[in-house]
Amino acid sequence: MSSLNTFGAIMTFAIEMETRLRDYYQSAGDAARAADADKRRANLERVRRENVTEIKLEPIEGLDEANYTLDLDVQSDAARATIEATATRFYQDVAPKINVREAQRALERCARQHAEMAP
Amino acid sequence: MVKRLKNYINGRFVEASADRYIPVHNPATCQLIGECPDSSRADVDQAVKAAHAAFDEWRSTPVLSRAQYMHRLRNILEERFEDISRVVVEENGKTRDEARGEVRRAIESVDFAISVPSLMRGYKVEDISSGIDETAERQPLGVFAAITPFNFPFMVPLWFLPTAITCGNTYLIKPSPQTPLSMDLFYEIMDEIDLPEGVVNLVHGGAEASQAVMEHPDVVGVSFVGSTPVAKIVYETCGKHGKRVQAQGGAKNYIAVMPDADMAASVANIMGSAFGCAGQRCLAGSVVVAVGDAYEPLKAELLKRASGLRVGYGLEETTQMGTVISDAAKQRIEGMISAGENEGAQVVLDGRGSTIEGFEAGSFVGPTILDGVTSDMSVARDEIFGPVLSIMHAEDFDSAVDMINQSRYGNAASLFTSNGKYAREFKYRIRAGNIGINVGVAAATASFPFGGQKESFFGDLHGQGPDSIEFFTDKKILIERWL
Repeated sequence: MSSLNTFGAIMTFAIEMETRLRDYYQSAGDAARAADADKRRANLERVRRENVTEIKLEPIEGLDEANYTLDLDVQSDAARATIEATATRFYQDVAPKINVREAQRALERCARQHAEMAP
Repeated sequence: MVKRLKNYINGRFVEASADRYIPVHNPATCQLIGECPDSSRADVDQAVKAAHAAFDEWRSTPVLSRAQYMHRLRNILEERFEDISRVVVEENGKTRDEARGEVRRAIESVDFAISVPSLMRGYKVEDISSGIDETAERQPLGVFAAITPFNFPFMVPLWFLPTAITCGNTYLIKPSPQTPLSMDLFYEIMDEIDLPEGVVNLVHGGAEASQAVMEHPDVVGVSFVGSTPVAKIVYETCGKHGKRVQAQGGAKNYIAVMPDADMAASVANIMGSAFGCAGQRCLAGSVVVAVGDAYEPLKAELLKRASGLRVGYGLEETTQMGTVISDAAKQRIEGMISAGENEGAQVVLDGRGSTIEGFEAGSFVGPTILDGVTSDMSVARDEIFGPVLSIMHAEDFDSAVDMINQSRYGNAASLFTSNGKYAREFKYRIRAGNIGINVGVAAATASFPFGGQKESFFGDLHGQGPDSIEFFTDKKILIERWL
């Protein structure tokens, strides 16, 4: 997958990102952040299920997952800050592209939560 | 391993008596993914007998208990949501989001059925004469059945079954033999919710099974969704056999775009209407009528967006348009594009002969746009049921309304405008059952009837919403005097 060009592509990318973040923080021994990521994952799965509005499905343009690559091999404060900043930027970029307000709101909330963890 | 499907009769999966099985192919990969029994009249009879035998006990089961089964069903559908949507993609070829959207709308029909305890209440007037009271009570009628199409193989059966059984009827579904797998999965779920035996039944098959459903004396009503020629047959046959019937047929949906419309937003929405589900929706926009100066910017924006659509296998999340249902459908659709070209339309975006890397044998038709289409051309008159959008040009609003109302179909029509007067006029004058204003797919939600007029609908009570309560119940009148 390279292009985030559908509702499902964006939501699935977000779900996979939170899953990887959960595993990353678990391996770092940060249970609180791992739990937060897992909660976001579960919420995003619910949003993907409940807010896919068949009559409003439209192609999405201008987003590429290559711009939101996370380096999860390094455990350091600086690495975490970069990761959280990238996640924040991802959610800030994708939220306005979604035309279902409930889903948009969920993505905006994820952006705020990641922003709080970025310096 | 390829699954050989069974019917579901009287609370268990059983082999059909048929010796012929219809192959079910994934339209993107061409892989054989199932074998659907071509059930016989005897199989239908067995299912109807089971449903008939279950009716008396089921109708006397308290309505709140019947609704509890729907709560359980809803919970399992949420749990199995991704599994179901995957099966819909595999059997139908639509995109993953379209399949998810279909399953979501099916769940909304279950939500509606959960409200049946309120919706099937009757009414009463005291003292219609001195000491005499009159009451209308809603009662279930018996065995209902649905004959359902390939394009929404999971959603359309659920327009009917949940409401019908929560009203106290028993039920039989005969799904399309092209897409029977999601109904097989649905009945696995129905088996899990542990309804009494015979309340819901499934018979796979083709024309013989459909005919048997329509003619069976113990079937009291039939819901059908499919093409107009078959809808006519269903309506006539069921009428002849004394049944209630609601038969939704084909469509030729027009979208008018005024010069004052927000062109970018309109085209984004028109894309979903024309090319969503590869144009295989009965609500798909098939002809766009550009009014006045809207023509040039509309055509340019449509071409730009449609040519950028990513066509591919629906299970890949980045796919924006999937396959049509079969190679036969591909040949038919491509033939209709060629017919339009021969009649004088210009093929400004040509989806004929599309192949997708890795899925070379798949039934892909790329997004196609025909320009210079006029009312006398077959592509303006006949249902194509594929990803083909025709552009017509009208001088003014009144001409656009006239063009649209010439259609023998009356399923849906949409207008894109920022002018309330035009919106009101359009809604008022267009002879179609579902009207969209700045909405390209005017699909009724579960609590509203799914409209349809002219050759798009045969019957009087539509599917979904309050009409479905009327369809699945009879109003019995009680007049009482106690001396």
